[in-house]
Amino acid sequence: MAVVRRNVVTNLAARAAYIRGVKLLKQENTSATTTSFTFPIPGPVNPINTYDLFVIWHFMAMNSPVPPGTDPLFGRNAAHSGPVFLPWHRLMLSGLEVQLQRVLNDPNFGLPYWDWAVDASLVGGPQSSLIWQNQPDTMGGQGTPISTGPLVFNNTDPTSFRVLIESSSDGRSFHQTKRGLNRTFGQPPPLGSSTLPTATEVLAAFNTLPEPLGEPHLATYDFAPFDRSSNGFRNRLEGWPGGVLHNRVHQWVGGDMGPATSPNDPVFFLHHCNVDRIWERWMQLNGRNYLPDMTAPPTLLGHRIDDALISPFGLAGTPRSQLDTTTQYTYDVIP
Amino acid sequence: MINPEEMAKLADPDFLANYLAGLPQPGPGHGGHPAVSVREDSYKGHRIVIKTTYEMTVDGKPLPIHVSLSNDGSAHVHGLPNYQFLSVVDLVRALIEFFPNEFPAEGPPADEYGGHGEPGGHGTHNAGGS
Repeated sequence: MAVVRRNVVTNLAARAAYIRGVKLLKQENTSATTTSFTFPIPGPVNPINTYDLFVIWHFMAMNSPVPPGTDPLFGRNAAHSGPVFLPWHRLMLSGLEVQLQRVLNDPNFGLPYWDWAVDASLVGGPQSSLIWQNQPDTMGGQGTPISTGPLVFNNTDPTSFRVLIESSSDGRSFHQTKRGLNRTFGQPPPLGSSTLPTATEVLAAFNTLPEPLGEPHLATYDFAPFDRSSNGFRNRLEGWPGGVLHNRVHQWVGGDMGPATSPNDPVFFLHHCNVDRIWERWMQLNGRNYLPDMTAPPTLLGHRIDDALISPFGLAGTPRSQLDTTTQYTYDVIP
Repeated sequence: MINPEEMAKLADPDFLANYLAGLPQPGPGHGGHPAVSVREDSYKGHRIVIKTTYEMTVDGKPLPIHVSLSNDGSAHVHGLPNYQFLSVVDLVRALIEFFPNEFPAEGPPADEYGGHGEPGGHGTHNAGGS
């Protein structure tokens, strides 16, 4: 039976379970250590906890060249700036969801979403949202590091939340650390964004009316050249150009939500769950369509509909496999 | 969708850990410095190619990052994957802000020739850890 994903602000049970589950995954060591990988993580040999596998997964997808032999530092990579942005993150979220179901011993747990467009219009500003308040079941506030909420780092308490792996500035190597979580809400450009995307901006991404009333190209998932300059819904939702929607949320939260290791902040998954919810709405309106198909040239290998995503599932885990997940989960409300 | 039995494997942390352990090490990218950003376009039957290189220093030390330019002129850096910058100066400022350990304070401000607290201003900013 499909689980239901609910609003993290309005659903106390989902919020509390998410925090509890994240902390359990952070405390659970896997069989992997920092030397288990073909890319040993510099520093002493330390175990890798289950939560941090998702930090590494995200980082590695970003550094996986698609197609092989190209340079992921330029243009699209296996997680961003191209068509797989939405299906790859959808698969990643599902991975975390089943991990949370396991440690919470609750097969009905659904990953909650953060409807940031609602928070964008709060009278007290986005930072006044319930999820940032100093309560046991919230995400805590901002700071370098954060000093409120259940994710505060305490060096003398090994059960406290901590960032253990961080990216370097070039985004192609990472290293060990042991510190608290950083957030810097609402920094103005170029360091961040002073606003979150609004509900109007979300709805505009669904407006496919003829010009000048709407943007008909948004009825199509993606367009050549399938990168940051493309027309189409994927690029609008990802946030290129102009720093809208998905990208702007990373920029507004700031801190650890900036680098390639952005899943270090548990709000990453709440944010991407909302991105996934918006994509689901688009598919309800426009069909479960995806581009490019398999007639696209090999230069788009890794982004075509039946190409393997960077995941343990090989060719079972493709963009096509992620277009209809409604038997796996649904959303309580679709925008 | 991925069938439920397959999806359930992701609940085993070692299933994902073993997969990640086998992924190839991130390549060196273009390796050399300075890196070249290539923009291409077609206009009225003409093929446009623009290659741009940057040589960047901070406090006189080379900054070995790769700047990617979009056709609208905005600049990107892999280390901040959700950002675009109107200028490369802004981009470097953001890197200093997000990765302070790679840009430690080192005495008096550098002059334009790289002179500062360290003789000759040699070395690079450490992009591999701190």
